[in-house]
Amino acid sequence: MGITEKITKNIDMTSWKDKIPVDYIYTAGIAGERFFREIKDNARIVGTKCEKCEVTYVPPKIYCERCFERLENYIDVGTKGTVHTFTICYENVDGTKKEEPTIIAMVKIDGTDGGLIHWLDEVHPKEVKIGMSVEAVFKAKEEREGSILDIKYFKPV
Amino acid sequence: MNNKKIDFKGIALKSSDIKEKKVLTTSWKPNLQYAWDNGVAISRYFKELKNGKIIAKKCNKCGRIMIPPRMFCELCFRPTDEWVYVKDTGVINTFSISYVHWDASRIKEGEKPFIPAVIEIDGASEGMGILHVLGEVDPEDVKSGMRVKAVWKLPEERIGAITDIKYFKPE
Repeated sequence: MGITEKITKNIDMTSWKDKIPVDYIYTAGIAGERFFREIKDNARIVGTKCEKCEVTYVPPKIYCERCFERLENYIDVGTKGTVHTFTICYENVDGTKKEEPTIIAMVKIDGTDGGLIHWLDEVHPKEVKIGMSVEAVFKAKEEREGSILDIKYFKPV
Repeated sequence: MNNKKIDFKGIALKSSDIKEKKVLTTSWKPNLQYAWDNGVAISRYFKELKNGKIIAKKCNKCGRIMIPPRMFCELCFRPTDEWVYVKDTGVINTFSISYVHWDASRIKEGEKPFIPAVIEIDGASEGMGILHVLGEVDPEDVKSGMRVKAVWKLPEERIGAITDIKYFKPE
């Protein structure tokens, strides 16, 4: 036996539209707090190094993922890196067109085993290459608030 | 096994630490929008609520008049048959007195507790009811089996939603 009634006019087909109010506050933890403080106060990128495994984590971790040793050796890793991979975005998150394309890249920080995902700028999308040397451009000190966005973008060296 | 087990104590944070910006934080509000398909039965139900009427649906096999209306009888395993208007009065089947808001925050001093209740609607089969809130009644006076009546929003304020009924009050 089939369903006896069907909606034949679009206007009779309704839906309940609403929003789910979910917001959150994320605290960065011990190593994350140190990482953001260094960016905010000193425009420095820090990582933690495991001497035993010879692995440097950027962003820093409080323990080594390989040997589970506690890491307390925070080191300044400089602000230079290499484009590990990248993507060119022509659309905003809501699907609308961007006026200018933006470039998001995974930047491997030189001399470490870690990296940051950030924007690339001061470079034409067509000129971006994997393996390209880039460096972080920071906001002015008074504008920095302890966020990854205190780094404005990475630009070619 | 590693016998150098270290006691990794966390750092307890108070809300004031976050408010006073003693720790760095990232906050975000995801834009979580949804559209839930009302289907045939609930579309009609909402449309009728906008007109100040409550509609139910009847299964001619078991004879049950079901509210909210549904297109399928889950007991007889067949499509339901007629649309039936029911009254906007009923009887409290069960209720709860809530001292918290929907987000679990405690109500303020002097604020009245919410009284959500399942109301068996007159004209629908026994045990058929809708979940709503009670108003114009003191929590201590609410009883199961109490007769109640819907208090509607003004016609121009109704949008075709269950909240077009503001609350149910004692008859």
